[in-house]
Amino acid sequence: MMAKIGMMSFAHMHAYSYAASVKQLPDATLAAIWDDNPKRGREMARKFGAPFISNVKKFLAADVDAVIICSENVKHRPMVELAAAAGKWILCEKPLATTVKDGEAMVATCKKAGVGLGTAFPCRYAPTLIEVKSQIAAGKFGEIYAASCTNNGSYPGGWFSEPQLSGGGATMDHTVHVVDLLRWMTGKEFTRVYCENGTLIHKKLKTDDVGVVHLEMEGGLMVSHIASWNRSRSFPTWGDVTLELIGEKGVISVDAFNQKVNVYCDKVMRAEWVCWSGNMDLGLVKDFVAAVDARREPPITGVDGLKAVEVTVAAYEAAKRRKPVPLTT
Amino acid sequence: MRVGIIGCGGMGYHHARMATNCGLRVAACGDTVRSKAEALAQEYSAEPVSDSLALVRRNDVDIVAVCTPTPNHAPYVVAAAEAGKHIFCEKPFGRTVEQCREAIAAARKAKVKLFVAHVLRYFQEFEAIKAQIDAGKVGKVGFVKSYRGGVYPRGEANWFRDYAQSGGVTLDCIIHDFDWLRYVFGDAERVFCQALQRSEPDVLDYSLVTFRMKSGVIAHVIGTWAHPSGFRVKVEVCGDGGMLQFDSADAPISSMMREQAGGTPGMIIPSSPVPVSPYQLEWQDFVGWLEGKHPPRVKPEDGLKAVRMALGALESAKTGRPVKL
Repeated sequence: MMAKIGMMSFAHMHAYSYAASVKQLPDATLAAIWDDNPKRGREMARKFGAPFISNVKKFLAADVDAVIICSENVKHRPMVELAAAAGKWILCEKPLATTVKDGEAMVATCKKAGVGLGTAFPCRYAPTLIEVKSQIAAGKFGEIYAASCTNNGSYPGGWFSEPQLSGGGATMDHTVHVVDLLRWMTGKEFTRVYCENGTLIHKKLKTDDVGVVHLEMEGGLMVSHIASWNRSRSFPTWGDVTLELIGEKGVISVDAFNQKVNVYCDKVMRAEWVCWSGNMDLGLVKDFVAAVDARREPPITGVDGLKAVEVTVAAYEAAKRRKPVPLTT
Repeated sequence: MRVGIIGCGGMGYHHARMATNCGLRVAACGDTVRSKAEALAQEYSAEPVSDSLALVRRNDVDIVAVCTPTPNHAPYVVAAAEAGKHIFCEKPFGRTVEQCREAIAAARKAKVKLFVAHVLRYFQEFEAIKAQIDAGKVGKVGFVKSYRGGVYPRGEANWFRDYAQSGGVTLDCIIHDFDWLRYVFGDAERVFCQALQRSEPDVLDYSLVTFRMKSGVIAHVIGTWAHPSGFRVKVEVCGDGGMLQFDSADAPISSMMREQAGGTPGMIIPSSPVPVSPYQLEWQDFVGWLEGKHPPRVKPEDGLKAVRMALGALESAKTGRPVKL
């Protein structure tokens, strides 16, 4: 079967990689592109060789099985609702939503409409992180007691620091990946959140750009996580995902994208780390396409997305109230 | 000037050598374990003493170096001050803030000089980091992260394993980073901490500490005594004009031994030699102060404030809430 995939918005840069992944898959086709920014939509249509449909109703009425939504964060909910009403399978960029209420509504809407809703957590497809998960699952480290993690990045610019579009800054942008990875690796839920955050690096932003999140998981597993846009423009790469896990039988650390070649190019005059490891976005999109074909729930669900939203929202609340916020599991 | 060492464990040996390198003479070595006092005393042709309270009163001792487990620092500092001796005290300054206050008051009253050994301020890599920050290379700093630790340390009668005495990795190890953060970025406003402090089935400690500095800077410190082997230090400083990183694992020398009969094989040992040890620089600074040449880089109040940061962190770990400092 050939899954016909439509793209809804290229506001989030991950859309480029997802669209390119769809193009690479033999059992999927990039059927149509819609974007609420018609200029960007037309440009992407030319780039990816797919028709641009400017009217969202016409786009959803077109012969499209599933959509990948990469809009600004706050627009995820209305777009998911439109797509679900049209019976489309949905892969939504992270964070799934910027409020728990929105996330819950999205999950409920898709369930009611009988469509699959997936959250784009491509890190679950990074070979390094798959290896760590399998070693933990094999019991090599025994019980995991503690973890210290990071998801640092450079400032992405644009709408990411417009709170009415992003719902928050670095804490909103860079908490969910690691929260999802920890749930995926340990099978445990989060019970408590504390956070210190602020606008510390890029003073003119209207959002936070550094968040230090302290978390507790079921059984008392203690976690600290740094969600940031603290990488300078001269830093050799965009950022990182790292985890150090302290277990009963040993310790394992992973720097997920540290499969790199160091490049020193005089034309660039900035050291570059070129990552050569597998394309995790391709793995994500491939599994989504398989779920669309089988008309089953995508492997990383809307509920997975919602769980990460709950932690992120609680982090902002904790930072504001300056005290830990409990989570119900 | 002649030095009396109190506490003849690892740090006692170390400071005896550093003092000697500074041209001082080790005159007496005190330890409640007589054999330990004798072993160190023999190396320096010094007098072994079982009662360290008697050591501080000896006429052949001008400087007392306190290298005992943490809870005994303050009592010996007070006794040494009352005996009119200058004091070199290992970190952490005290087990409680009250102990630090008593030690400071005793030294002030006796008009003796009291130095708290926050040696990180003399480490070449940390001085280089500070110099880059001071030169504006990273712009205005907003975020700092540091990481320190490795294997759980051994001590006389495994005293580190008794959290009531040692305070674990939070009080004993990353207090280095706490002091350095104050040194470079000023006082802390509040702290949040999660500390593992396990005793069963294995003794492991891991500490995740976040300070909000008065300047607004967020500082995250990770301390580990949970690793099976090794020791590692990492630092990252991020500002509006750039960032910097240091990692001790990225070392100029690394060696790896072939397995010998009965030996331990395989582990890569990194090393980064310096012409003058930071511990030596620390003693030079202390001696220079005693000779009236300059003020010391570390003042007793710095030692107290670092203890307050660490105890605030431990209180937060216990209550699960941020603690105002």
